[in-house]
Amino acid sequence: MTPHRILLIAFLSLVPMMLRAATIEMHVNGLVCAFCAQGIEKKLRKFPATADVVVSLEQHLVAVALKDGEDIPDTELRKALTNAGYTVTAIERSDTSIEAIRSRLGQQKP
Amino acid sequence: MTRWSENLVGALALIAPVCAFTKPIAFANGTTVMLEYGAGTMWEAQIFYAPQYNYSVGGGHVEFDSDITPETVRITYARLNYLLHRWNLESAQANVFVWGGAGAATGNTFSGTELTGNAGAQADYETRRVYASLKTDLQKANAFNIRVDTLQLGIAPYKHDYNQIATWFVVQARQYTDDIHHGTEVAALLRLFKGGAWIEAGITNGGKLQAMAMFNF
Repeated sequence: MTPHRILLIAFLSLVPMMLRAATIEMHVNGLVCAFCAQGIEKKLRKFPATADVVVSLEQHLVAVALKDGEDIPDTELRKALTNAGYTVTAIERSDTSIEAIRSRLGQQKP
Repeated sequence: MTRWSENLVGALALIAPVCAFTKPIAFANGTTVMLEYGAGTMWEAQIFYAPQYNYSVGGGHVEFDSDITPETVRITYARLNYLLHRWNLESAQANVFVWGGAGAATGNTFSGTELTGNAGAQADYETRRVYASLKTDLQKANAFNIRVDTLQLGIAPYKHDYNQIATWFVVQARQYTDDIHHGTEVAALLRLFKGGAWIEAGITNGGKLQAMAMFNF
């Protein structure tokens, strides 16, 4: 195998990781009380792939920052939110950083 | 109620940080601790663990001290709480909880220890600005039949968000059976919560302290 081919294979093997989302944004119904919503953060932080969690009652939003190259399946996310007592209406993945989401929501890192 | 327990609950209510309405189930794998001082006629401590989001198990201790007769009743009980139904709306949540349990009671109007049964229900509705809760809780034995009915209506002066302190102004109306208290006891309460800590405190129409603290972890 030529060095060029080895480099090409190595590069191609990295592409899926590079394409993975940085964050997962979930739209959640019933999110009205911060005291009761703690279960969401507690559950989501237990995933090994979770780097950070942001919750917004105003936007009915729960965002999870993912560790590099990792992901959490939608079924696991829905299960976690259901076990916290809430209903997930949509799940979206994006490359938006958690800091950008915090900034958009007007929140500061605790 | 003994003087030490009255002082303990009163002190906890004053130092603990105070949320929209109390729930007997927090979230799956969550523990809830609740302490309530009810205007000299009742105080209660509870601890519940929720294996799943729709039920919790635990127990509590409640003491009733009639302000009409010399009757005092102390009950220690085990209980199962069940979330009968939850409505998760876009900007609101509503719940119906039911519970039941059994315990042992002592008191000054009967001898020895009596076996007690406990049953209750709660319906609530909450947005980030208003909430309403109606709760009924029955403690029954051969020697007594004490039911406490509580209505709470709350309004928040601003919409709190996650990681912010939430503030609620609450009006509570409560009635006791079994001559624990005559008529409807009305209390004006200030409720504050942040993170896993909730405290509320206020004054009843009889000028007495009404307070509650709750913690989720």
